[in-house]
Amino acid sequence: MILKKSALSVKTWFEDRLGLSVVLDFMRKKKVPQNKHTPWSYTGSAILLFFMIQVITGIMLAFYYKPTLGEANKSVARIMTEVPLGWIIRSIHFWSATFMIAFVFVHLFSIWIIKSYRKPRELTWMTGAFLLLFSLAFGFTGYLLPWDDLSLSATKVGTDIPNAIPVVGKIFTKLLRGGEDITGDTLSRFFTLHICLLPLALLLILAIHFYLIQKLEMSLPWRDEGKKEELKELPFWPNFVCREMIVWLILFGVLVTVAVFLPPSLGKAADLMAAAPKGIKPEWYFLFLFQTLKIFPAKILFIDGETLAVLLILAACVLLLFLPFIDNKPTERKGKIITGLAFATIAYAVLMSIWSLLT
Amino acid sequence: MKIKHSLFNRREFLNWLLGGWVGVFVVSLVSPIAKFIFPPYQEPDKVALPLVDFKDLEPGALKNFPWGAKPAFIRKNGDGSYLAIVGVCTHLDCNVTYLADQKKFFCACHDGWYDENGLNISGPPPRPLRKLRADVDGENLVVKKEGVA
Repeated sequence: MILKKSALSVKTWFEDRLGLSVVLDFMRKKKVPQNKHTPWSYTGSAILLFFMIQVITGIMLAFYYKPTLGEANKSVARIMTEVPLGWIIRSIHFWSATFMIAFVFVHLFSIWIIKSYRKPRELTWMTGAFLLLFSLAFGFTGYLLPWDDLSLSATKVGTDIPNAIPVVGKIFTKLLRGGEDITGDTLSRFFTLHICLLPLALLLILAIHFYLIQKLEMSLPWRDEGKKEELKELPFWPNFVCREMIVWLILFGVLVTVAVFLPPSLGKAADLMAAAPKGIKPEWYFLFLFQTLKIFPAKILFIDGETLAVLLILAACVLLLFLPFIDNKPTERKGKIITGLAFATIAYAVLMSIWSLLT
Repeated sequence: MKIKHSLFNRREFLNWLLGGWVGVFVVSLVSPIAKFIFPPYQEPDKVALPLVDFKDLEPGALKNFPWGAKPAFIRKNGDGSYLAIVGVCTHLDCNVTYLADQKKFFCACHDGWYDENGLNISGPPPRPLRKLRADVDGENLVVKKEGVA
C-alpha cells in the first residue's frame, strides 16, 4: 500500500516536470491502418531492430577492437578466439548488418511501390533516402575494419570510384582515404566514421524520419485515401506493438541461428604492398554497382567510360532522392509507370548481382 | 479446503507468466553481454625468468620484471636466496619506485613509503607490499604465487 502510494508520488513528480503524458496519450490513441499493405509497415521496424542490435554489438566490439595497422587484424582475431563469446558477437554484428541492409532495400521498394512518399510525405521519403545512404556507408566503412586482404582491396576499389568524377572527384577520394593512398590513416578515419560520425548523422535523420511518421500518420493505399472513416484500424498499443514483438522475436531467432552456423571469416592481415587477391568482390549490396562499373567500356565516343558510369549512378541517386517531386501526382492516381520503374530497378539490381556472382 | 475467491485471477496469472517469460528472456540476452565485456585476463600462477639475468645481483639489490600486467622486483637476499615483491602500492594501486640510496619503496601518488622488505612505514598504505616466492629451478628463477606448488 505504502509502496503503491510512493510509486504514484514519484510518478507525479516526474510527470509535473517532464509532461510525458502527452506522448503516452498519443501512443495510446495511435492507430495503425489495417489493409493488405500492412505487412510492409513491419519492414521499417525490422530495420530498427537490426540497427539496435548493431549499436549494442558494435559498442561491445569496440571494447576490444584496435584501429591501427599493426593491431586491427590481430584484435579481430583475438575477439574471434579469446574473448568470451566474441566470435558470436562479431558474427551477429556481421549478419545483422546484412539483414539490416536487406530490409532497408525491401522498405525502400515497398514504399516506392505503395507510393507512400506522395504529398505530404515527401520529406519522410527524402530523410529515408539519406538513411539508405548512411546504411550503405556503414557497410562500406565497416568492411575495412578487420583489415584483411579482401577488405583492403575492396576499399581500394571503392575509394577510387569518386576519382572518376570530374573536378571534385580527386578531392573526395583524398578525403575518404586521408591522402593519396590507403594507409593507417584510412583505417582510423574509417573507424571514426563508422563509430562516431555515421551514428550521429543517422540518429539525427532517424529522429526526423520518426517524427514525420508520427506527425503525418501511416499512409493509406492510393485508392483508400480520403475515405478514412470506413477503414479498418488497429490500435498501436498493445495490438500492433505485440505483433511487432512477434516479428522481432522471429527475426532475432533467424539472425542468431545464421550467426551461429555461418560466422564471418577473417583473412590474413592486409599487406599494403601485396598484389590484390583473386576474385575480389564487394559485399552483396554493392554488387550491382560493381557490375555496372565493370560493363562500361574504357571509352564511349570521347568520354571516359568510368566517368560516364559514375555520373549515371550519381544521377540515379539524385532521381531517387527527388522521387516525390518527379511523381507529384495526387494520391488517388495509381502511377503505373512509377511502379514499373520500381520493378525494373529491382530486376536490374538482381540481374546485375547474379551476373557479378557468376563471372 | 475450498477457497471461495481465487487468489489469482486469470489476468494476473497471465501477466505474471508473460512478465516472467520476458524477464528470463532479458536475462538470457544480458548474461552473454556481461560475459563478453570481461576480458579473459588472469594473473599468472607462475613466471619463469632466466636465472642468468639475476645471478649477478649484489645482495640487497633489486631488478624488475613483469608479473602479468604488474611491475615487480626480484631481490637477492644476503644468503643468496631470492624474493619477489609486487611493485604496486597497497593503498590505491599506483606503481611504486625503489629508491636505492634510501633503501625504500616510494609511492608518488599519495606519499606512501615502504622499507626495503616492503613493510609499510609511512603514509597511507594499509599493508606491506605483496610478496611472491622466488625459487631457483635449474636454469630458471621461478616466481610463484603463495600457495602454488
